Amino acid sequence: MNSFRNNEPEAKRSSVDGMEDFRLGAARRRLAESTGQTDAIEALREIAGNFLGSEEIGLFEIDRKTGDIQLLWCFGIDPKQCHLLGALGDVGLQRMLVGKCHVAFVADDGAGSEPRTEAFVPIRLADHTVAILAILRLLPQKQGFDRQDMDLLALLSDEAGKALFGSTLNPVTNQPKART
Amino acid sequence: MAKKVLVVDDSKTALMMEREILQRHTTYQCVTASDGQEAVEKAKQERPDLILMDVVMPRMNGFEACKIMRQQQSTRETPIVLVTTRGEESYMEAGFQSGCNDYITKPVNGSELVALLQSYLGE
Repeated sequence: MNSFRNNEPEAKRSSVDGMEDFRLGAARRRLAESTGQTDAIEALREIAGNFLGSEEIGLFEIDRKTGDIQLLWCFGIDPKQCHLLGALGDVGLQRMLVGKCHVAFVADDGAGSEPRTEAFVPIRLADHTVAILAILRLLPQKQGFDRQDMDLLALLSDEAGKALFGSTLNPVTNQPKART
Repeated sequence: MAKKVLVVDDSKTALMMEREILQRHTTYQCVTASDGQEAVEKAKQERPDLILMDVVMPRMNGFEACKIMRQQQSTRETPIVLVTTRGEESYMEAGFQSGCNDYITKPVNGSELVALLQSYLGE
């Protein structure tokens, strides 16, 4: 059974003290310059791999009318194994809908797999959560998220929506229901 | 004359960040390539003082590019630092066999990157 230790990581001191976090500027620029949804997804893959240290990610889109959540794309995971609610839980999902990032340390899944850190990022557009980015495992050398990682997750939450859906979505009028 | 670094990565995002770090925190000149094959050609033309190269890339990966560079007169002695998601000993042994001098693991830490480059090129 999953054991969620906490929702927020301890704000560890970053090892890049004294140097501006260049990841934020690069991520912002890359998203802004993306040329459509496919390129924006590629940007997310690059940001996760190069800046956050994860090669197991999934992107779930929330249907604006029904509230259904569908896997839009994943990387490094079998799509059949890429489930959102099982990992996130109802509480986490509610946090997504109000725009809060959710980070959890999974101590044990009962099947002998190694502990891992997961992060779920609500992708916001026009003050609504239109998708959820799930970062489902970090590279072995990456020990959790530090404060600057959290800043980067917040930037993705605020700015990836426009890159992903800005040209395809009409203004969102109704908050989707929390369903899968 | 400014030292020249050839940065090689198929990720636009990584290139943006690495170029920005070099421009803001070093005096090195930065040239870029987006895969191993282009890196081999650029290295011949540009004669960089150091090559910072991703491993997993389309067309030609970092290990293959490294091997070719080591066979070419112009790049035989050029320090090559590989950027990799995998830091396991067995994996990086293949990197050293291909001729790289050093490696750094992703996610790249700006301070560590600058320190590593300065250890080869000076400030």
